[in-house]
Amino acid sequence: MLARALEQAGIATTSISLVREHTEKVKPPRALFVPFPFGMALGRPNDPELQHHVLRAVLDLLTEARGPVLRDFPEDSEPGDQPAAPPQASGITADDRALDDVAMETTQMRRYHERWLETNGGRTHFGLAGIPATRFRGVVRFLEAFAEGQETDMAERPPDMPLANFIRYCADDLKSLYFEGHLAMKSASGGDEIARWFWGETGAGRLLRRVRDRLDASTDQLWKAAAFGIAR
Amino acid sequence: MPRLDRLPQISRNNLLTFPAQVNDTTPFVRPAKPLAACRLAIVTTAGLHRRGDRLFTPGDQTYRVIPSETPTVDIVQSHTSIGFDRVPTMRDVNISFPIDRLRELIARGELGELGPNGYSFMGAQREVARIMNETGPEVGRRLREEGVDVALITPT
Repeated sequence: MLARALEQAGIATTSISLVREHTEKVKPPRALFVPFPFGMALGRPNDPELQHHVLRAVLDLLTEARGPVLRDFPEDSEPGDQPAAPPQASGITADDRALDDVAMETTQMRRYHERWLETNGGRTHFGLAGIPATRFRGVVRFLEAFAEGQETDMAERPPDMPLANFIRYCADDLKSLYFEGHLAMKSASGGDEIARWFWGETGAGRLLRRVRDRLDASTDQLWKAAAFGIAR
Repeated sequence: MPRLDRLPQISRNNLLTFPAQVNDTTPFVRPAKPLAACRLAIVTTAGLHRRGDRLFTPGDQTYRVIPSETPTVDIVQSHTSIGFDRVPTMRDVNISFPIDRLRELIARGELGELGPNGYSFMGAQREVARIMNETGPEVGRRLREEGVDVALITPT
């Protein structure tokens, strides 16, 4: 769809497709269907060789004389240890033994996250809500008050940002803190393992389920959208 | 593949009911030069942008500019749909935005050069009229002005 808009402006495009069924309908000019899970369009992270194979295949489509072209990536190289899509909270049982003191748990995770930052040159997905990790105990307390049904807010929320969107970014940051912190502890972990740990064993996972429940119970579409983006 | 039969049911249903556009014809521009002489830009639908840039919001049909010299540590993702695994992007942004790989292709002489900017949209959108009629064509015009021959479109 985007490819079509760019071609109409005179730019040749070539695309990577993750959902063959959709690409068959949309008919972009050139598309390479790849056998990888969502989130892994180029194959595997830190695997330049496989990423180059994919790039070569998608760029080769530019030599085709006519289109639409929809080609399948020739290797059935689905990264074997990862499911096609990450598991969702609804499919994971939360362990009752998870820490009730989420603020304390978050402080512990922040230490691991600092290690992640040190070993990755500062690369992080954390930071959407604009609140530093050192103040995330406050964010946790805010989310707990929200989950309990209180009228609550944070001074850090930009005035033009709806509360539901702000909560979503806080939840995303909390996940980044935990997911990247977990990677610092166990660098070989895949997203599947980390998601099962987060939703199954952490207090933060249990808290976000409750935040989701309150958002989802609303009739406000922004609240419902935020709920769908936090846990389902 | 995600092959639909390997997905959890909730994801599969989401995809099967997704209102993908149905088209009968396809615009098709052939690049005027071989790849080794082409100027290329990444246009991603992964919801990536520079740290500190305006965040994507649900249903957002606008785009962000990512200058090609942006260090990869400064690229973040605010389209955080839980339908995809974020861990690969946390480890290596090239998984959706293969900027380092393209630089390697240029160094090997297989690709001409990068345009001055990459562009980023948010994917998995149900309502796309504004991207089709306004923001998509706008990015097309900008790419033309930047002398770009080829756009590589990457999802997350």
